[in-house]
Amino acid sequence: MDPKRMSLEEDAILLQPIQRTGKAFYVTLFSLLAVILWAAWAYMYQYRNGLGVTGLARPIFWGVYITNFVFFIGISHAGTLISAILRLAKAEWRRSITRSAEVITVLVLFFGVGNILMDLGRPDRMLNILQYPHFKSPLLWDVSSITVYLTASSIYLYLPLIPDIAILRDHGGKYQWLYRILALGWKGTEKQHHLLERGISIMAILVIPIAVSVHTVVSFVFAMTIQPMWHTAIFGPYFVAGAIFSGIAALIVAMNLIRKVYHLEDYLRPVHFNNLGVLLLVMTLLWFYFTFTEYLTTYYGGEPIHMTIFWNKFTGRFAPYFWGMFLFCFVIPLPILSFQKTRTPYGTLIASISVIIGMWLERYVIVVPTLTHPRLPNETVLYSPTWVEWSVFAGCVSFFILLYMTFTKLFPIVSIWEVQEGREKSMAEVQERIKTYLPGIGVE
Amino acid sequence: MMHKWGMVIDLDRCSGCQACMAACHAENNIAIVGPEEAAKGRTIHWIELLPYIEGEFPHIKARLLPRPCMHCEHPACIKVCPVGATYANEEGIVGIIHSRCIGCRYCTTACPYTVRSFNWYEPRWPKEMKGSLNRDVSVRKKGVVEKCSFCHHRLLRAREKARAENRELLPDDYIPACVQACPSQAMYFGDLNDPFSKVSELSRERRAFKLLEDLGTEPKVIYLSEGM
Amino acid sequence: MKFSRRDFLKMGGGVGVAMALGGGFVQWTHWPESDSSNAPGIEKWIPTICGQCTGGCGTLVRVIDGWAVNIAGNPLHPLNRGTLCPKGIAGLQALYDPDRLRSPLKRIGNRGEGHFEPISWKEALHQVSKVLIELREKGETHQLVVLGGRYRGLMRSLWERFLKAFGSPNYIDNQFRWEDPPLEGLLLTQGIYDLPAYDIEKAQYILSFGSGILESFWSPVQMLRGYGHFRRGRPGLRGRFVQIESRLSSTGIKADEWVPIQPGTEGVLALGIAHMILKEGLYHKAFIAEQAFGFENWKDSEGREHLGFKEFILSEYEPAVVSKQTGVPIDQIIRLAREFSSNLPSLAIGYRDRPFHQMAVSVLNGLVGSIDVPGGLLIPRSVPYRPFPSFSEDTIAQRGNSQRPLFGRNEGVGSPSYLFAKNVISGKPYKPKVLFLYYTNPLFSNPNPEYFFKAFQEIPLIISFSPYLDDSTKFSDLVLPDHTPFERWQDDPVFLSNGFPALGIRQPVVSPLYQTKATGDFLLEIVRELGGQIQKALPWNEFKEVMIYCLRGVFEAKRGDIFGLQFDEAWTRLLQRGGWSVPTYQTFEEFLNLLYEKGGWWDPVYDFGERSRVFRTPSNKFEFYAQGSQKTLFPVGKIKDSNVLPHAEDLKQGETDQPYPFTLHVFRTISLTGGRNANQPWLQSMVGQHLFERWRTWVEINPETAKKMSISDGDWVWVESRRGRIKAIARHYKGTLPNVVNIPFGQGHRGGGRWSKGIGENPYHLIDDHLDPVTGFPVQGTTKVKIYKA
Ligand SMILES: Nc1nc2c(c(=O)[nH]1)N[C@H]1C(S)=C(S)[C@@H](COP(=O)(O)OP(=O)(O)OC[C@H]3O[C@@H](n4cnc5c(=O)[nH]c(N)nc54)[C@H](O)[C@@H]3O)O[C@H]1N2
Ligand SMILES: Nc1nc2c(c(=O)[nH]1)N[C@H]1C(S)=C(S)[C@@H](COP(=O)(O)OP(=O)(O)OC[C@H]3O[C@@H](n4cnc5c(=O)[nH]c(N)nc54)[C@H](O)[C@@H]3O)O[C@H]1N2
Ligand code: SF4
Ligand code: SF4
Ligand code: SF4
Ligand code: SF4
Ligand code: SF4
Ligand SMILES: [Mo]
Repeated sequence: MDPKRMSLEEDAILLQPIQRTGKAFYVTLFSLLAVILWAAWAYMYQYRNGLGVTGLARPIFWGVYITNFVFFIGISHAGTLISAILRLAKAEWRRSITRSAEVITVLVLFFGVGNILMDLGRPDRMLNILQYPHFKSPLLWDVSSITVYLTASSIYLYLPLIPDIAILRDHGGKYQWLYRILALGWKGTEKQHHLLERGISIMAILVIPIAVSVHTVVSFVFAMTIQPMWHTAIFGPYFVAGAIFSGIAALIVAMNLIRKVYHLEDYLRPVHFNNLGVLLLVMTLLWFYFTFTEYLTTYYGGEPIHMTIFWNKFTGRFAPYFWGMFLFCFVIPLPILSFQKTRTPYGTLIASISVIIGMWLERYVIVVPTLTHPRLPNETVLYSPTWVEWSVFAGCVSFFILLYMTFTKLFPIVSIWEVQEGREKSMAEVQERIKTYLPGIGVE
Repeated sequence: MMHKWGMVIDLDRCSGCQACMAACHAENNIAIVGPEEAAKGRTIHWIELLPYIEGEFPHIKARLLPRPCMHCEHPACIKVCPVGATYANEEGIVGIIHSRCIGCRYCTTACPYTVRSFNWYEPRWPKEMKGSLNRDVSVRKKGVVEKCSFCHHRLLRAREKARAENRELLPDDYIPACVQACPSQAMYFGDLNDPFSKVSELSRERRAFKLLEDLGTEPKVIYLSEGM
Repeated sequence: MKFSRRDFLKMGGGVGVAMALGGGFVQWTHWPESDSSNAPGIEKWIPTICGQCTGGCGTLVRVIDGWAVNIAGNPLHPLNRGTLCPKGIAGLQALYDPDRLRSPLKRIGNRGEGHFEPISWKEALHQVSKVLIELREKGETHQLVVLGGRYRGLMRSLWERFLKAFGSPNYIDNQFRWEDPPLEGLLLTQGIYDLPAYDIEKAQYILSFGSGILESFWSPVQMLRGYGHFRRGRPGLRGRFVQIESRLSSTGIKADEWVPIQPGTEGVLALGIAHMILKEGLYHKAFIAEQAFGFENWKDSEGREHLGFKEFILSEYEPAVVSKQTGVPIDQIIRLAREFSSNLPSLAIGYRDRPFHQMAVSVLNGLVGSIDVPGGLLIPRSVPYRPFPSFSEDTIAQRGNSQRPLFGRNEGVGSPSYLFAKNVISGKPYKPKVLFLYYTNPLFSNPNPEYFFKAFQEIPLIISFSPYLDDSTKFSDLVLPDHTPFERWQDDPVFLSNGFPALGIRQPVVSPLYQTKATGDFLLEIVRELGGQIQKALPWNEFKEVMIYCLRGVFEAKRGDIFGLQFDEAWTRLLQRGGWSVPTYQTFEEFLNLLYEKGGWWDPVYDFGERSRVFRTPSNKFEFYAQGSQKTLFPVGKIKDSNVLPHAEDLKQGETDQPYPFTLHVFRTISLTGGRNANQPWLQSMVGQHLFERWRTWVEINPETAKKMSISDGDWVWVESRRGRIKAIARHYKGTLPNVVNIPFGQGHRGGGRWSKGIGENPYHLIDDHLDPVTGFPVQGTTKVKIYKA
């Protein structure tokens, strides 16, 4: 037998989701499809009638869709960025988790962009952005950076996929034609490996500034206006930190699901969750730091127009959202993540779900309250999202899950070759590496 | 020299009658927004009286301030438009190419004066009314933003007329609808670049101020304050 | 084509000159271009008169291909000089209301259900004349009642003459507050029961006692223009303006000072101010000496001693007393008195309050001599129409006319429509058989509309001439829709704030949209059907002929001129002063053509010092002691001096506080004043701009009070009086007294089209119907309400 196939035996479980599909999958699939169809119908309803079917009004021109846009783009930082950092840091434990992270990025970006498009009054004219681009507009910076990010992340997802696709190609089974094309003639030669490694490390380096820029630019959409509590320099890093925060949380949730559903307990071990949990803990603290700075600055500045919105968040109409955000982003995750005992897969799952909810609320609390209190007297408008907006939101989440699921049915969600490589080479490599920096070892 | 069109609103003369609001509706084919939508805050006014009600009973200082688009020299709205649908012409009038607008509503959130409105639905008129729309002004479609244009179409017509009559544009040729209607004659319109125009003269008055002046948007709508 | 382009240019140029010469008026004269190469159709600008309120403004309607597409003010009409109010502009939407009635209608099904079937005008004429002939045959002509609303001019004369010839004393005015200046105040002090002119353009100081001069003056634009001039139209001079009112209205917002006051006590404050003026000797000595009566104590022809104004006021209305009643601090009363009497010319303007409160405000003008002087209160002359030819009633008519009128008592004073309803219900002295509703909607516009419903049920045949299916029209048996103002001929005689008489001509600007007919024309058709003496009395074929007949008087008066530029005004005046009248017309035809072309005629002269015109009191003077009131207001019995001197009247507050702790204050907005404008979305979208309220009814509550009652801004609440309750949106409004709640007029139609029916509530369903003992009309401000969450 071919040695490759031999060695696969050990990791056969990683191919199982692709080879076998149970009833549960179809049930989930169809439930998700139902939600998606419903959302598609809701959107068609909006498309035909106009944005009036949302809860938006003057002066609250932006609501759930823009919240979703920022939220999804934030989630996208899970993958590529984290994976790249871990790769560059040569954190060995990353091997079984990078793939699941990178997929999140690529898929979720579509929903970020999609929400912006669905927010357009004239989606039929969206190509005007290409036809009459106006580069002074931060929105166009977004368009550019997200496009670059999407391209880069796709490549970055694709490159490490190639050896696995080749495995699938060689392994027989469904969609041979697809794998043949995608495998790009991968034979696993030394040269190919070398090229691949290089490609991956270049992309990993490239992708980090791009990712940082993306969310900075997203924040610029708000920060470049002179609107109170938007017009602040902290927004760039604040958004990036928030993005990574919610991204890690999303990753933990995804890993938990994969682990349970595909019985990958052996690959996604408590240590992974523990490590990611620590990372999430760091981000929790960082998030708090930024939030604290942001609001303290506003408070001390005490500019009336800012303070209106400040109090609106603290004690006013948006207090439930604001304190909800604080609860979910900080109060709940902090204790769970602080102790190793609770940094279990299950514990981190709870913390992560909490963070995701909290981060959506954070986006909402950033987008909406500022708009409710313009500088000049204005009509009091109570924005409450309508069924259309909620449906579309639900549709986006479902569609994302569906795509993610489908991905796991087409490609191994844990990188086979990287795991193998780790097993084969890492020990030695790590030993070598440790020797390079531990005192007393290996110094002649 | 290029014209620089501007407006002066004398708050001391203004009687808060809202004729400017109605005149603008009639002139610019602003959509009819019914009671349900109005309750949601979807009413469209290109010029609107803003109430400032300050102090506590019985010592209240209240003001009513008519607010069209400021046609800022440094407009926040233009910068943010991703497709260049909002632009300023060479005379400083800030306009919108409605057929290009993608309805992202970035300009509406960016404008510090909240003057812009959005067409949440397709505007509809009963067929009995359609013929009475102003034919000089296009009807906006659903999904695009709109705002005060300084009645730019009137300028175009006035220019054309002046050209046809082979003469210069006179100050009285171009007056927006709101200014024309204003019963208390609180509104003035003209060329701010002409140091002898009425608006220039008034803009140098002691009472003159601009809205949110510290933002540096440099409005071309200038107010004259109430009282002595 | 009524205006040539050359005219436009001339006017533009002329006004330029006027500005250069006269200074003062700054006049925007942008004249909309009449022709332009890119005009998609044939365009004309046709002058006519706005029909949206009682204001009488001249408009120019831009007509393209037969469609009215825009309305601008007529720069030549001296009343509005090219400007308009929001309602005037919304006239377009009144014309093109998609729910206008399109032909005569006959009721099918039960009354009030609103089911009608179209009939032809021929059939309509047949039906109406049949009924009227029957009345004549049975000698029941007095049982025909015409209820008329707010309109002016010869149409009213025509109705009155028709009724006279037909034989009914029952023309009933539902314009029950008329145009609402303090009519009784003027009657008591100057013996005149008509509108005065307030020369605010020349005034220095205005003290408004609850008058909504910037919202609901009888001629809004006129006042708004005057106000602008009063503030900033005179270089170096800025008029000062104080508003005394229990609610911070938009008039109050624009005022230099708002004096919150307990509802209904404005007149009492006036007495307090008078007290201080007297006490400090700040009154106008010359005026009082030469032109006043009853200032000091006096003796009548029988030698009896009478109390004079001075002694009475000085003894009764100490600032401390007044302050307690009104809630206005003493030092403020003193300051107002000093300001008012030292910034001459100053004007006190009241509203149609209780008669002696009105009088209290009126005498303030007397105290500072602001009567018949520039910047004061003026008595305008009227338009010199040629009177109708004399005719003699036939015997049937004589019999009918001698019946007691259905509106009861005191002819000429008070609110006849309310008394009419009372009499109809009681059946005394008789019940009417046929009711014509012309330009009025009593089921909406009267306090206690239910009461009118009851009255209407007693009347076998109700015919409405309204072009809209308003509340009352819905309740009619026959609907004979009038043309709307832009489709018909009509005259509109008015006067300006400086006392000049003016006559606007309303003419059709578009051909009638539907199968409607001008009521005047229809009335003359009926007259022809009735024949005999009636036709002799009204020998015309259409209303335009009536107008032309009477206009000859204006032509022959040898005064005034066709509307011209402001520039011409001074010139005309100069010529007239010199005794020449050189009008722009020579023949009557020329006069008529110019009238239609420019929009009207005016007489830019006010004759000061014609005592007999200004004081029609028994003393021929300004009466601080209302001698004339014996004849006009107290028909019987002896009167006490203090009863005819200005005094504080019993406020007659409704039930005491417990169950109904708030006083209801019903106010007007500029856009929906009255029952006419709710069908116009442009106006609906800005009714309550000070609170961003639109398209609904709200109730204003003092924020502190509301908080105590846990009513949040924007909550739905019930407002309940002993008479009924309505649901409204509670709005916190700082300009509200803690013990008062305010609700606007204009919404709550139960008839009408898509934009008025079922929108908001009519606060008149809450109003108590206390009738004022003197004027006979319902006293506002006595209704108590409670509020609770819905
Ligand atoms: N709710 C409310 N009630 C009021 C008032 C108020 O402001 N609000 N004001 C009070 C006062 S001061 C007065 S004077 C009375 C007046 O009250 P009304 O006499 O009822 O006068 P309006 O409400 O002006 O108009 C009445 C009707 O005239 C009809 N109409 C409109 N245009 C035309 C036309 O061209 N021809 C004919 N034939 N009919 C037409 C419309 O159907 C309208 O409903 O109302 C009193 N009652
Ligand atoms: N825009 C417009 N203007 C109009 C008209 C129109 O149709 N449209 N109609 C004209 C006609 S017919 C009329 S009669 C006039 C009426 O115009 P206004 O004279 O302004 O009549 P209101 O607003 O009813 O009442 C005037 C004042 O009465 C006092 N008042 C009212 N209710 C109460 C109360 O409950 N308690 C106390 N204490 N005071 C109270 C208030 O101070 C209020 O400001 O408007 C005329 N002007
Ligand atoms: S006021 Fe607003 S919309 Fe108008 S030019 Fe300025 S920024 Fe733009
Ligand atoms: S809504 Fe239209 S005009 Fe405004 S920024 Fe977007 S594309 Fe430009
Ligand atoms: S200038 Fe023209 S567009 Fe602008 S508010 Fe006035 S009427 Fe409307
Ligand atoms: S039309 Fe003139 S007076 Fe009336 S609100 Fe507008 S600016 Fe003021
Ligand atoms: S004041 Fe009355 S008459 Fe004049 S424009 Fe307004 S609605 Fe018409
Ligand atoms: Mo009235």
